[in-house]
Amino acid sequence: MNRLNHLDTLKIRPDESVTIEYLGKPFQGAAGDTIATLLYGGGVRIFGRSLKYHRPRGLYSLNGECSNTLMAVDGEPNVRGETTEARNGMVVEPQNVKGDPARDLMGFMDKLSPVLPAGFYYKMFHKPASLWPKAIKGIRKAAGLGKISPHFTMKGSFDEIYLNADVCVIGGGPAGMAAALAASQAGLRVILLESRPWLGGFFDYRPGLYDRGRSLADRVETDPNIRVFTRTSVIGSYTDNLITAFCRGDGSDAFDERYLEIRAKSVVTSTGCIERPLLFAHNERPGVMQISCAHRLIRTWGILPGTSAVFSIGDDLGLEAALDLADLGMEIQCVADVREDGQNEALADRLAEKGIPLFRGWVAAASDGDPKVKRVSLTAINGVRSREFECDLIVAGAGQTPVTGPLTLAGAKQRFDRRTGFFLPVDLPRKMHAAGRMLGYIDPDAIEASGDLAGVKAAADCNGADDSKIREAEERLGDLQGPARGTKFIIGPVKTGKTFICFDEDTTVKNVDQAIAGGFDVPELIKRFTAAGTGPGQGGIPGHNLPLYVGLTGQSPDLDPRPTTVRPPLTPTLIAAYAGSNHDMSKRTPMHEEQVKAGGRMERVGVWHRARRFGDDAAAAAEIENVRNNVGILDASTLGKFRIFGPDVLKALDRVYVGSMSRVKSDRMLYSAMCNEDGCIIDDGVLVKRGENDYYFTTSTGRAGSSAEWIRYHTRYENWDFHIVNLTDAFGVINLAGPNARKTLEKVADADLSNDAFPFMGYREFSIKEIPVRAMRLGFVGELSFELHVASSWMPALWKIIEEAGAEFGIRHFGLEAQNVLRMEKGHLIIGSESEQRTTLHDVGLGFLWHKEKREADTVGAAALRHTENQEGRLKLVGIEAQDPQQTPRDGSIIVDEKIRGYVATARYSRTLEKSVGMALVESELADIGTQLEIFEGEKDDERLAATVVPMPFYDPEGRRLRM
Amino acid sequence: MLKKPSATAKPLWKKAPFKSSYDAVIIGGGLHGLATAYFLARDHGMTNIAVIEKRYIGFGGAGRNTAIVRANQRTQENVPLYKEALELWPVLTRELDFNLMFYNCGNLNLAHSDAALKAMRTNVATARFHGVQSRVVDPKECKELVPALDISERPRYPIFGGMYHPPGGIVRHDAVVWGLAKGATAKGIHIHQGTEVTGIGVSNGKVVSVETDKGKIATNRVLNAAGGYSAALSWNLLGMKLPISVLTIQAMVTQPLKPLLHHVVSSGAYHCYANQTLKGEIATGSHMDPWPNYTTQTTARYIKHQAEALIEMMPCLSGIKFMRTWGGLADMTPDMAPIMDGNHPHEGYYLDCGWGYFGFKSSTVTGKYMAQYMATGQCPEILAPFALRRFQEHRLMGETAALVNYTPDN
Repeated sequence: MNRLNHLDTLKIRPDESVTIEYLGKPFQGAAGDTIATLLYGGGVRIFGRSLKYHRPRGLYSLNGECSNTLMAVDGEPNVRGETTEARNGMVVEPQNVKGDPARDLMGFMDKLSPVLPAGFYYKMFHKPASLWPKAIKGIRKAAGLGKISPHFTMKGSFDEIYLNADVCVIGGGPAGMAAALAASQAGLRVILLESRPWLGGFFDYRPGLYDRGRSLADRVETDPNIRVFTRTSVIGSYTDNLITAFCRGDGSDAFDERYLEIRAKSVVTSTGCIERPLLFAHNERPGVMQISCAHRLIRTWGILPGTSAVFSIGDDLGLEAALDLADLGMEIQCVADVREDGQNEALADRLAEKGIPLFRGWVAAASDGDPKVKRVSLTAINGVRSREFECDLIVAGAGQTPVTGPLTLAGAKQRFDRRTGFFLPVDLPRKMHAAGRMLGYIDPDAIEASGDLAGVKAAADCNGADDSKIREAEERLGDLQGPARGTKFIIGPVKTGKTFICFDEDTTVKNVDQAIAGGFDVPELIKRFTAAGTGPGQGGIPGHNLPLYVGLTGQSPDLDPRPTTVRPPLTPTLIAAYAGSNHDMSKRTPMHEEQVKAGGRMERVGVWHRARRFGDDAAAAAEIENVRNNVGILDASTLGKFRIFGPDVLKALDRVYVGSMSRVKSDRMLYSAMCNEDGCIIDDGVLVKRGENDYYFTTSTGRAGSSAEWIRYHTRYENWDFHIVNLTDAFGVINLAGPNARKTLEKVADADLSNDAFPFMGYREFSIKEIPVRAMRLGFVGELSFELHVASSWMPALWKIIEEAGAEFGIRHFGLEAQNVLRMEKGHLIIGSESEQRTTLHDVGLGFLWHKEKREADTVGAAALRHTENQEGRLKLVGIEAQDPQQTPRDGSIIVDEKIRGYVATARYSRTLEKSVGMALVESELADIGTQLEIFEGEKDDERLAATVVPMPFYDPEGRRLRM
Repeated sequence: MLKKPSATAKPLWKKAPFKSSYDAVIIGGGLHGLATAYFLARDHGMTNIAVIEKRYIGFGGAGRNTAIVRANQRTQENVPLYKEALELWPVLTRELDFNLMFYNCGNLNLAHSDAALKAMRTNVATARFHGVQSRVVDPKECKELVPALDISERPRYPIFGGMYHPPGGIVRHDAVVWGLAKGATAKGIHIHQGTEVTGIGVSNGKVVSVETDKGKIATNRVLNAAGGYSAALSWNLLGMKLPISVLTIQAMVTQPLKPLLHHVVSSGAYHCYANQTLKGEIATGSHMDPWPNYTTQTTARYIKHQAEALIEMMPCLSGIKFMRTWGGLADMTPDMAPIMDGNHPHEGYYLDCGWGYFGFKSSTVTGKYMAQYMATGQCPEILAPFALRRFQEHRLMGETAALVNYTPDN
């Protein structure tokens, strides 16, 4: 390993070696290397092939905005080599290439560019039409960077944390650190997020500023008020200062990637700048790299980026880098600077001292060499003179581009500023502040002072500073150098070759011209038409150059360039990282484990796990039979259960229930329903009065979550005095059903359960072995039933008592499938199963529940119920019987003649009745008893099943069994 | 085979002078508006028409949807419309001489419960009754169609089966916008971008003019095809309240990959659908945000939900990266079916809105019939069920079986 190990700015640990495998061969680097620096140090120059033209691509940025170094690592595609730390044993492969990207068989694609103009795919492959399906195959194969196997398994550990802070600072450079310190000094809790593994930012690779950066970092890292997250990339920024980010583990952390959500009272964005790519012919050839890339490569990783370099730059950072690289032993042949004047003359003098020519008002026009840079031609910006140089490195930059994503995502606007050449953030959201280089500051003191000011403002947001503090910080900043003049937007006069505005999508300046000629005049449309900025790196490379090119070359109708939209995530983020621990937010009843032990097949029903059946029989025949003949026990704990009370409780109940709530008694259940404004039935359940203005009611499982909201919403303007308590999770429910239900319960209850003492629809409260229960005599499954509501904590005990008591009577579990058949035989409906969204109370035959004498305005849906009461042409719920008992129509089948006339809701072969019966919604003309129906199951196109409309209920029509 | 196309040299659509009178004004340069304009010219010889777009064409839902097309809707009112829409893509590609890139990959909709299988059977039977291919498939066939699926018992919603619908697929949504703009302007229709409608003039119950920030237009026909903004427009300009809730719906794409998904795959239980675009990105989305909202802001919750859902369904997706997420507006009616109507209460005022998140797949065929409606003044039979008055009569369409969840009361 040949590194400049003596530099004090190094971030690698040269004596700790790291070995990875690339193209089947081992490569060795040092701890702290990224994959790209490790490979670069090992001599790799070509990292992959571009999407469309298969052009070779090399190390260009190191800032993370460019996709040139996307590689597959351990089967995971599109890993950003330049920012991903190398770890021992990684298996790394290049992408979009067979074998070594230095010799790509698809390289000929580059020659096809004349026939592949912007948006070529809209204009090709569709004539003749038969060409298109074949072309799709080719397009799909060619498209896409990276490959993943459908059987890929993600290794590693992912989780999430949710944090609060007074101030969240995004960016751990000098401005961010100054802001964090200022906020901390005001006694506030600060979170500082930095994407690199270390703090320092703009200072951390520059010889004169490194120590200053380090000492700031030391202060920050030892400040007890500041929690520092390095290796943490901000990905989202949302309303009210919600910041999302992900953190990469350092190898010893308990996680590989961790998702962070931070809610802060105030946010400081100090994300600095990325470099603006210089536009010239073949500006992305391996061997062309950005200034900070070359500079960091040597200062941070100790790697000389090349042997002989030509610089084409546009700001003093370029001059500084050229000098430093020359000092460290690289040959710098010359520096072309797009600026005619305005250079820092001290730097210019030092270049002169070293004998490095500085061409003022010159710029790179083209690179040459295949596949790597061998030559560069420079030209005066007026195009009159040009010169060529042999070199293996072109260090190119067109100035800076501020990173404003965290601000614009949260709603800040951007305005083009002619002095800095930046899209500067304006109209910042409340309690969000910008600081540092992104505002155009370049002077180190000003950068820190700008951070300090933002930190003080953030402190003021948290009442930690007053206006005088802000004024002081403003004055300090005001005394320093203001935002620097930006680099002029210049493209060298180029005759031939490709000038790439977007590397990811191989979009050239010519493509943009083609789009503009095609009528696309706003950057956002040009982006869509040319795909510039829509690739894996999004707008990192073209983010400013595209709108500037469109805006400043007079092509756009706008006076000022308009930026394209930045969208989250600001950094491409693993789906695994977003998913984190991927906790299953579901609920289990107190009887969950018991039921699983008893062979229960659990299924998700909404948020709950419920037992569909016990054992292998999908029809649950034995469970059904046992309820009909003996006694069954069902866990119905998922029912919605509510207490509602207060002086105005009856008004509230009357508002949402169709029935008259003054009829609810203390010893008798009232069955009622809720409708929406269209009279459509949305819920049903029972109510009982437990005290003066104090009621208990149930809802269906699915509505448990929304019932309280529904009542509050429909009473929101009334100022009524009532309260709702959701007891759904607090109470468990046992449904004990079957002819032996009473015998079972009588053994353990301390109450008279005879039919006279506790009749059908009655409500009683008593104890079972000292466990207090609320008991209801209901009959959903059509048998003698007791529904016992009991505190959840008592559920297992009560369940056991009843199971033991029922043993001699043949008690056994039953699940949802058995319940479904039992209640269907009885003609009881389940909302959502026998009703659709459009089904009214009348349609399902429950119109009798509606108490018409209530004032219409008092009941949600009453006006619609009146309107639709005798309306023709609606779907009505009817009973059906299949002509052939062995041919049960499948649920969801349709009822047809020449049109679709209805839907089969639920149909089953009934062992009890020895025929196939069901419920269906049919047009009212077909609803008369005896009507013959044709059913189409959607299997064989010409096959129809025959059925007849029959009366319901099918089972025990007189209702004797539930009144036993 | 490959010839250098010459079309790049000339604009796809022409800029036009702003006239003070048009035979019809279409509000909204989205797909429905552009398609209606195109068909007015193509089928009815009406070319003196202006499409008024406040931003740029395709700014709204047209450029924000996930481009899925299919014809396996639930009701007999909808299926024929969407069936014809599917048949139109190749026709329009030829007519417009613009590749709309219809990728007929078929759609697989997953069922994670018996109830979902029941709902699918209804859709399958309805589709087949109308001659649209669709079938119920078992988990094994789901896996054959989409090898990335986890059909084991491990996921929180194991796969019970699915509905496979071969005629569906995806279309390049931007291409449809640009192709229709190209076709419409070639026939002489004017598109005015960056122009805001500020008023609709009504006299004696008839539309007489449209006011814009660029000037007043005399016209006796106006179509409200303003997508997410249609209800606000109707209310603000005519005081006409439409039963529409506007909600943000979000979508996102991963970084592009070599072919992985060969079909559109969706799941109601996970609130998640995904397909791979021809560019290789996995485009994915789910339900609307659960509250009315006129912004297109994205939320942290949504993208995390999407990640959680995707990797339960297709665990291999853990290893790829989201790179872009965005929001659009869904104009939802109480029955999740659109409002297509005209001439009442104001003669000459036409509505084509409330499309929610179905507006893309239906756009071209709707344009065809809305054009017929506007040209003849008579409602085409196929559009009759979508009239606004169904809400007054409480006759909701059955497009969604389940209760919808987008009003604030839920």
